[in-house]
Order: sequence, then structure tokens, then C-alpha cells
Amino acid sequence: MDFFHAHQAQHYLVLAALLFALGAAGVVLRRNAIIVLMSIELMLNAVNLTFLAFSRFPLVPNPPMGSFLSGHAAAFFVIATAAAEAAVGLAIIIAVFRSRTSVNVDEFDTLKL
Amino acid sequence: MEVTWLHLVPLLPLIGAAVCGLAGKWLPKGWVYAVALASVLLSFLVGLRAFMGLGEQVQLFHELAFNWFSAGSLRVDMAFTFDRLSGALTLVVTGVGFLIHVYSVGYMDEDPGYWRYFSYLNLFVAAMLTLILGDNLVAMFVGWEGVGLCSYLLIGFWFTDEEKAYAGRKAFIVNRIGDFGFLIGIFILFNQIGSVGFAQVNSAALPLGVASIAALCLFIGATGKSAQLPLYIWLPDAMAGPTPVSALIHAATMVTAGVYMVARLSHLYVSAPGIMAVVAVVGVLTAIWSALIATSQNDIKKVLAYSTVSQLGFMFIGVGVGAFFAGTMHLVTHAFFKACLFLGSGAVIHGLQGEQDIQRMGGLRRYMPSTRTTFLIATIAITGILPISGFFSKDEILGQALHTRAFGFLTLGYSGPHLTFLGPLIYAVGSFSAFLTSFYMWRCYFLTFSGEYRGPESVHPHESPSVMTLPLWILAGLSVVGLVLGLPQPWVHGTALQGWTWEHFTEGVFSRPRGGAPEEFAPYLGYGIALIVGWAGWAGAYALYFKRGLAGDELLTSRVRGLRRALANKLYVDELYGWAVVRPIWALARGLWRFVDATLIDGLFVNGIPSLIAWISAMARRFQNGDVQRYAAVTALGVAALLYVFLVRG
Repeated sequence: MDFFHAHQAQHYLVLAALLFALGAAGVVLRRNAIIVLMSIELMLNAVNLTFLAFSRFPLVPNPPMGSFLSGHAAAFFVIATAAAEAAVGLAIIIAVFRSRTSVNVDEFDTLKL
Repeated sequence: MEVTWLHLVPLLPLIGAAVCGLAGKWLPKGWVYAVALASVLLSFLVGLRAFMGLGEQVQLFHELAFNWFSAGSLRVDMAFTFDRLSGALTLVVTGVGFLIHVYSVGYMDEDPGYWRYFSYLNLFVAAMLTLILGDNLVAMFVGWEGVGLCSYLLIGFWFTDEEKAYAGRKAFIVNRIGDFGFLIGIFILFNQIGSVGFAQVNSAALPLGVASIAALCLFIGATGKSAQLPLYIWLPDAMAGPTPVSALIHAATMVTAGVYMVARLSHLYVSAPGIMAVVAVVGVLTAIWSALIATSQNDIKKVLAYSTVSQLGFMFIGVGVGAFFAGTMHLVTHAFFKACLFLGSGAVIHGLQGEQDIQRMGGLRRYMPSTRTTFLIATIAITGILPISGFFSKDEILGQALHTRAFGFLTLGYSGPHLTFLGPLIYAVGSFSAFLTSFYMWRCYFLTFSGEYRGPESVHPHESPSVMTLPLWILAGLSVVGLVLGLPQPWVHGTALQGWTWEHFTEGVFSRPRGGAPEEFAPYLGYGIALIVGWAGWAGAYALYFKRGLAGDELLTSRVRGLRRALANKLYVDELYGWAVVRPIWALARGLWRFVDATLIDGLFVNGIPSLIAWISAMARRFQNGDVQRYAAVTALGVAALLYVFLVRG
């Protein structure tokens, strides 16, 4: 099977998995809250890519009419949610920075109390 | 005859104890004295009234105070029996007890704990009366333990002195060992008879083996309470208590409880003749053992303490050879003269500002005429050089031992010889003990009252106040009058005195030994031997100590150095027990403490379980460190694991 020439879902899924893993690693490993937020965006976009891949290459032979649009719709929802999340997240980061003068997530451990 | 007032006899001193103990600290001193003395005196008067009521028609008074507890077939009543034996002893306990209370007013007047003292003393009288009057073994055991408690409290009365507190503990623990035997005896009797009442026990027909084991267990209790071999060791140390306590508890009354118990259960002991032989042999061994030790003691109270142990041995000879009346008669006369001796020694100690060592006494006859005269009378009574109370009661015991038929059918094995030799042997050893008794008592008398005063210049001997000498005179009088109890039957037959002799008086109270009554014997030869023995002891002491004083001891030591040293060290019995019993128990206790208590219970259970939980918590706490990134990482790992499980392996 010619992996590099067949235009199939696998390519997109592999790319999405790599992006998701990169994003997850960033969320877990980076200390700067802004980078963490950016990594979350990366993970969300990996998910978007998955949606779109399955929209283009459906898993069933003859999908019902309009079903390919639901993947696109989901991607739009994700983009909107990501924008809102980024707005709220940045606002929180700024608020925390004002009280703590730091944006390092490993210093924000008061959750355990 | 059923009556309703008998409970007053033990109850009145109990009330006195409660008043003195609970309110005595705040009451005026005179009130405490009044309550303590009046309660015992009233008890005495009730007893006297009851005693007068006894006669041919009324053999005994009985009162069922209340049913203490019932469980299954076991029924234990708090009930009292006032017969000729318990009645006479009630009078002795309350009468001598009252005199000692009076004496204590003078003796303990300067002690700040006087109210505590009188409370304990009243409590003791109440417990002793319960012991005597109780009509079943359990009621007797209540009194038995009660007097033990009071003994402990009063020996350790000056408990800030560690040595005295130790003596109290020693008395308590040694008594506990004996009491264990007593309890087992009660259990066996209940198991076999189904009742604990004296009436039932004394009418039950028990197999020889059961009767022997029960009697032996009860006698173990008696060896503890009455200070016989091998459990006598607490009594000499009990002299740490105030001297009136030594007189009342450790001479006149409590220590005779074992003799009373054996006499009360005469039927049981008669049906176990082997154990009667054990009782008599233990008695005679104790008599000579402690008489030997008494010859070399220098503490006046220790001399009297060993003398008490020895005299108790005589009482056990009496009950052991089946002459229960002789044993209990000696109990009564001994209560008189030994209380007098102890109170006399207390007066001496009081007059010498606490000096107890007879090496620093001497010549006190000039300073303390009353004390000296009463002490002399009591010494004559115990040594039997003149025929007053102690002479008759002691000789009655020895005569009965010589002529006893209690052992005639005992053999050592099936073909062994009959133990008929046992009675004469006991007589011989007992007579030698009587000689020693005379010797050490006269030694004590001469060293204390004769010669010149050897104490320090700073101490001025003086006579005690009359509140202390009056009881001495009364007790000395009783020591003389007590001879009536022991007059031989032929002398008093048909006269007014006949009803007062103890043998006649207690007719029908005791069982006869299985061999039958002892042979009729003419007492005169025995009296002659007893007089010779008594005077021989006097002569020995006179020759050694009257002129020489302390030099007599040195002369004796130069002749028999090793023996004297051993005797002065109480034959090393305390050391032996310390080595053979106390130290192993200490080691065991320390092992239990170190390993079972400190390691197992404290370490493994008390501390181990919490530290296990703490360790688990520390582990769990790592998941809750507040680090968002770690939460995310763990979540991601969890998702990855789930994916692996469901997608790859599923």
C-alpha cells in the first residue's frame, strides 16, 4: 500500500495525532501559562483536523446527504469555543499576574488547599 | 433464734469509719474521737447484750440482713450468726478494739492524719466483725479481704516513708497469695455442696479427697492471713505501722482469723485428717522457727512480731490436733496479753520519742512504772512461769497434742507406720518453742526495763498519759483473769466457774476429731513440765541479761556466732524469697512490660496503625499537590491507558 500517494484519512489522522501530542506535551511540560494556552489551541486544532478528515473521508460507503457538513459544523464550534476560551484564559492569566507577578503555572498550586 | 438487730454490731463501726473518713478532716478533733470510740463501744454493748442472751434455750442468734446476690443455684446472703464462738470473739474484737481506740487517742494525738487513722481503725473493726459473724464463706471472705485492706492501709499509714509503704504492699501481696487459695477452697466447696453456708458445709458428708483439697486450699488462705510458714514474712515488716495497729490487727485480732476459720469449719477439717496433720505440723514448725528468730531481734516490735507468729503457730497446733477449743482459747488469751505487750512497747516507744531498739533502752522500770508492771504481767502470761492465762491455754494445746487421737489412723502409704508418733513429737517441739518463748520474752523484758538506761542523753524517758496506761492496766487485768478460761475441768467441776471455762463454754460448737476425744489425762504432769520449761527460759535470760545487759548478747554471740548472725538476719528467708520468687517475677514483669506492652501493644497496635495510615495518606497526598500540570499529565496518562485497553487490546 502506497502510504504517501493514497489520499486517505490516515495521513490527516497521523498529523492530527502528532499535533495533539505536541499540544499535550506543551500543556504538561511548559511553565509559562501563555504557552500552555497556545498548546491548548494546538490540541483543539488537532481535533479540528480530525473532524475535517472524517468529514472528507467518511467511514461508511454511502453517507446520508449533508452528513459531511456536520464535521465542518463541529470544527466551527470548536473554533468559537477556542476563541472564547483564549479570551477567558488570557483574562485569568492577567488577573493572576497582577496578584502574583508571575505567569508560571507551577507556582499556582493553591488549588490543593 | 432469728433477730433483727445483729447487723448493728458490724454496722456501727462502719458508720464510724464513714463519718471519720468523709467528714473527719473538717470536724473538730474531739468529735472524731467521740464518733470513733462511741461506735466501737456501742458495738461492744450490743455484742454484750447478745452474749448475755445466749443460754441453754438460745444456742445462737441469726440474722438474714439481706440477700446479697443469687445466680443460678448460688445464693449468697449477708447473714450473721452469733453463737458462743463468734459471740466471744465479737466481744474480744470490740472490747480489745475499744481499749486500743482509747490508747490511740493518746498515741496518735499529735499526728495530723488522726482522722484518717481512726477511720481505718473503725473500718477494720467493722470488717473483722463481718469476718467473725458472717454465716457463710463468702460473707467471711468479705471481712477477710476487708481486714486485709485495712491492714495494708494502716501498715502504710505513714506512706511518705518509702520503706513503710513497701511493707504495706508486701503485706497485701503476700496476703493475696493466700487469699487465692481461700477462694479456690470456696469454689470447691460450692461445687461439691452447692452452698457456701457454714451450716451446710459443716453438715455435708464429703469424700476424703474433696474435703482434703478444700481444707488445704482454705488453710493456704489461713497461712497468709495468720502468718504461718511459708507466708509469715509479711508480719514482721507490718510493724512499720503505728504501734496500736500492731496491737489490734497484727497481734490480737486479724492474724487470728485463720485460726478462727479452721475452728469454724471444724467439721470439714475433721473429715480431712491428713490436712489436720498438715495444719498441726505447719503450726509447730512456725512456732519454733519464729521463736528462734525472735531470740536475736533487737527491735522491740520485731521481737513481739515474731512472738506473735510463734503464738499463732501454737494456735494452729491446737486446731490441728483436733483440740479446737484449745486453739481458740489461746486465741482469746493471746489477744489479751499480746495486745498488752504491744501497747506496752508502744508506750515505751512513745516515752523514748520513737526509739524502737532495745539496745538503747534499759532501766525503764524507774521512768515508766505502769508500763513496766503491765508489761511484766503480760510477759508472765505469755511465758507461763506463773499459772495465769497464757500458761493454761498454751499448756492445754500442748497437752492435747500429746494425747491426740487425730492422727492414729494416718499412715505413710498402705503398709507404712501409723502416725501416732506425730502428737508426742509436736508436744516435744512445741515445748522447746515454749522454752524459747520464755527466753526471748524475758530477754526483751530485761533489756528494756532492767539494768541502766543506755539511750542518748538527749532523750528523757517519761511515762505515758493515763489515757494510754489505763488500757494497759485493763488488758493486764484481763491477762490474769483470762486464766479462768483455761482451768482444767476437774478443778472447777460443780463450781460457779465451770460455766466460764472455754472447754465447757464452747461445748457443741466444734466437731470431734475422727480418732475420738483425746485420752483423759491428768494435767498435773504437763503443768509441771510447762512450769519447768517456762522457768528454764526465764533462768537462761536472767543469767545472760539481768546483770550483763547487752553483754549477754555478746556472750551468746561469741559461743554460737554463725547461728546468731543467721537468726539476726531472720534466717535469710527474705533473701531466699527475693532470689527465688520476687526476682523471677520482676524479670517476668519487666519482660512483659518491655516486649508485650511497650513493643507489641504500644509499638505495633497503638502507634503502628496510625503510622500505617499516615504512610498511606502521604502516598495519597502526592496526587493532591495542586500542580495543574501534573493533574493534566495524570489525566492524559489515564486516557492513554484507556485507549490502549479499548482500542489495541479490545
